[in-house]
Amino acid sequence: MVVTLGARAPGAVHAPRDAAELATLLRACDDAGHAVVLFGGNTLQALGNVPARYDVAIDLRGLDRILVHEPRDLTIAVEGGVTLAALDAALAAHGQFVPLDAPQPALATVGGTLASGWLGPRRATYGRPRDFVIGTTVALADGTIAKAGGMTVKNVSGYDLSKLYVGSLGTLGAIVRANFKTLPLPEARRIAVATLPEGTRARAIANVSALDIEPAAALVVRGFASDIDGRDGLDGRMLVLFEGSARTIERGTRALRSALGAAGIPETRLIDREVASAFARVLDAYVARLGDRSATYRSAGVASDTGSCVEAFARAARTRGLALETIEDVRTGDTIARVSSALTAEFAERIASFEGERRERLPGARVLAAPQAVRALLDAWRDEPPALAKMRALKERFDPRGTLAPGRFVGGI
Amino acid sequence: MTVKDSAKPARKPPSMTARADDEFRERLIAAIGTDGVKTAVEDRASYAFDAFSEGGLPAAVVLPKDARDVSAIVRIARSCGRPVVPRGAGTGLCGGSVPPDGGVVISFARMNRVLAFDARQRRARVQPGLANLELSNRVAGAGFFFGPDPSSQKTSTIGGNTATNAGGPHAFAYGSMSAHVLGLEFVDDAGEVLRVSLDDAGYDLTGSLVGSEGTLGIVTAIDVRLLRVPSAIRVCVAAFGDVEGASEAVSAIVAAGLTPTALEIIDRTIVQAVEAHFHSGFPLDAGAVLLVEIAGEPADVEAWERTIAGVSREHGALSWRSATSARERDALWASRKGAAGALGRISPNYYIQDATVPRTKLPLATRRVEEIARACGLQVGNVFHAGDGNLHPLLLFDRRIPGQLEAVAHAGHDILAACIELGGTISGEHGIGSEKRETLPLVFDERDLATMARLREVFDVTRSFNPDKIFPSGAVCGEVRAAQAAVPAGAWL
Repeated sequence: MVVTLGARAPGAVHAPRDAAELATLLRACDDAGHAVVLFGGNTLQALGNVPARYDVAIDLRGLDRILVHEPRDLTIAVEGGVTLAALDAALAAHGQFVPLDAPQPALATVGGTLASGWLGPRRATYGRPRDFVIGTTVALADGTIAKAGGMTVKNVSGYDLSKLYVGSLGTLGAIVRANFKTLPLPEARRIAVATLPEGTRARAIANVSALDIEPAAALVVRGFASDIDGRDGLDGRMLVLFEGSARTIERGTRALRSALGAAGIPETRLIDREVASAFARVLDAYVARLGDRSATYRSAGVASDTGSCVEAFARAARTRGLALETIEDVRTGDTIARVSSALTAEFAERIASFEGERRERLPGARVLAAPQAVRALLDAWRDEPPALAKMRALKERFDPRGTLAPGRFVGGI
Repeated sequence: MTVKDSAKPARKPPSMTARADDEFRERLIAAIGTDGVKTAVEDRASYAFDAFSEGGLPAAVVLPKDARDVSAIVRIARSCGRPVVPRGAGTGLCGGSVPPDGGVVISFARMNRVLAFDARQRRARVQPGLANLELSNRVAGAGFFFGPDPSSQKTSTIGGNTATNAGGPHAFAYGSMSAHVLGLEFVDDAGEVLRVSLDDAGYDLTGSLVGSEGTLGIVTAIDVRLLRVPSAIRVCVAAFGDVEGASEAVSAIVAAGLTPTALEIIDRTIVQAVEAHFHSGFPLDAGAVLLVEIAGEPADVEAWERTIAGVSREHGALSWRSATSARERDALWASRKGAAGALGRISPNYYIQDATVPRTKLPLATRRVEEIARACGLQVGNVFHAGDGNLHPLLLFDRRIPGQLEAVAHAGHDILAACIELGGTISGEHGIGSEKRETLPLVFDERDLATMARLREVFDVTRSFNPDKIFPSGAVCGEVRAAQAAVPAGAWL
């Protein structure tokens, strides 16, 4: 695993095998004043700033046990280093899932996915990953192992600290255990794919947003052909994922076809087999890089109104000679934008110039994937939250010596 | 169960003299006006209670109009060294909103408006004093509703629901408050008005504030997520021989991956009280009734009902009936949600416990509850959110009979201990408040609690927001007070 971040490489890499070993290690680093970056599958390390200090990398993939799985309770407890693929497999064997929807599930870990605050396209239907976390155990910088929540689906016993760790980018503690509530897998799934002729996009988005039978996800993709479709990929297409009973999917498909027909889109192709892997390919595209000559952003917007965001990316990219590919998430308002240049040699200069405008127009956009060489150019946090002082105080209480990824988080936390 | 001993004189810090009280009240009046401050002792005395517990006598009760008022109140309270206790409708059952002596109670009765409603984004911004049901009513015309629906929803407020991470029957399908609160405006311990949102960068302070029982900040506005009203809703009633049998059926329904929107169990004791009161058509001869709500596309609802009815019959359902009209459906829900209120017919007093267990442990847990009640010489009624493993045993008693209150306290504690032993916890939706704070160490060890305290220190260093709640008294807060309970007739659950 490459543990370099920006131009920084750690002096040591450790891989503890359990929570106790991890806690001891953290404590030792904390005492020695060594800054620590926690690693899971290394799929989303581009999030946030390059840490201001970085001495030790801790690889958490050794914490890979499924701890409690009582399928009839619809709950599962796993160690933080368990991969999403392993979690999925354990649950699927009992007809269940947790809608985490993160890229590269064979590499991505549960702890890393939660810490990254990942938000996938199906959250409009099922809820955010945080809503499925019913308990956590963390190891804090000082070696304290502390739990919150539990194994019940309803719980108001003490503070819900799990919410703090989700999305904290490893700046408060290491997630050594996560307890989830699970959902039954949908009876059936289908992806409908429609090629969007020039000038039909806005109408298609509006009509699909108004469908009575709401799809689990609806994405408008431009580019990403090699990542999602292989060689035959077409530019400018809409992917609509239906999940539910076969009869409702059938009705949903009919309604979709007529909604798209009304928008001037005559044909819709249906994918009924290996839907899960087709959907996973789309998610993988969120972090897929074109060598060292691309950077990918996510920008949050308003449901069914991603147009202005795409336009802002397009303008900034066009003037810098960068190519733009986008995934617009109709139901959540997210825009994924990958900018790239033809040659690696010119990328650094172009992206630096692009960033200038991006910061102005899309201050809340986050980098999902970028070459290490340009990481330092990409200032992650241009949108400081109003409660930043409270967040600083929180960091101070949980990690007073600034051991965990100092400087990585918003406001230099 | 820790309830105030009314025979003992109230303890108040020596700095809170009558003169200091007057000065404090005058400053509040100067800041927010006479009509916003209740000073008369008879007015203040009624705020010493929630729906179960009795606390101290507050020095003042204030009714702010907006966040600016709240900010002024917090600043004054801070400079006078007075504890601040926020209060919604006072329907809580564990002392979460009862004040200590000499504190100030902030009532949100005048902050009860819907501030914004965005149908496209499916969200609304509301003030904390808005009644839960009122929110759903206000957005119903546009085809939306609010997910969490505690049985107290006619009166309990969105602010109070936020403080306790309330759930209700539909939490089974839609999740508790924390899954529905998208952002908050709150006043911090310095009197600053702050906003947090899930849309913001940084730590999820929104999620940390939900369920914090008013100990971290005083919430002045809540951004909530709204849900689309399903195209078809059906409510069905199945009769079972006993609670354990009904619980087995619930476990089987959940384990089979079926997704009704509510699964509620009501036992014979409660059914009889409810039927005498509401006449909504629950079977009177059943040992327990299972209320099932199924929602979705009409064809799915049809099919799911057949499957769920089948699973129920396999697990001993004696009968199955579905409400055919919206009116019948509403009547069933009204009697379910008014169940506790109907209990006055069969028992002078009752104590409602709130605990959760993993769902497969339900049959075992209900049996344990029955055994514990019997061992303590008490009758028990059960009406609970079975789908979530959320138990609400009601211990029936008569406080006039010597020893009964002690028996209730004993049984209440044993039920919590039993649920913990089964892998559960001591509150699913009511909170810890003052009633269960001494029980919390059975769930969390010192390190867990110390870590939670770190969060408290970030928001409220002096512990003046709702003090003596959630955290066990330990060495800090002196003795546990026990004795006489104050149990009103019309409590909710």
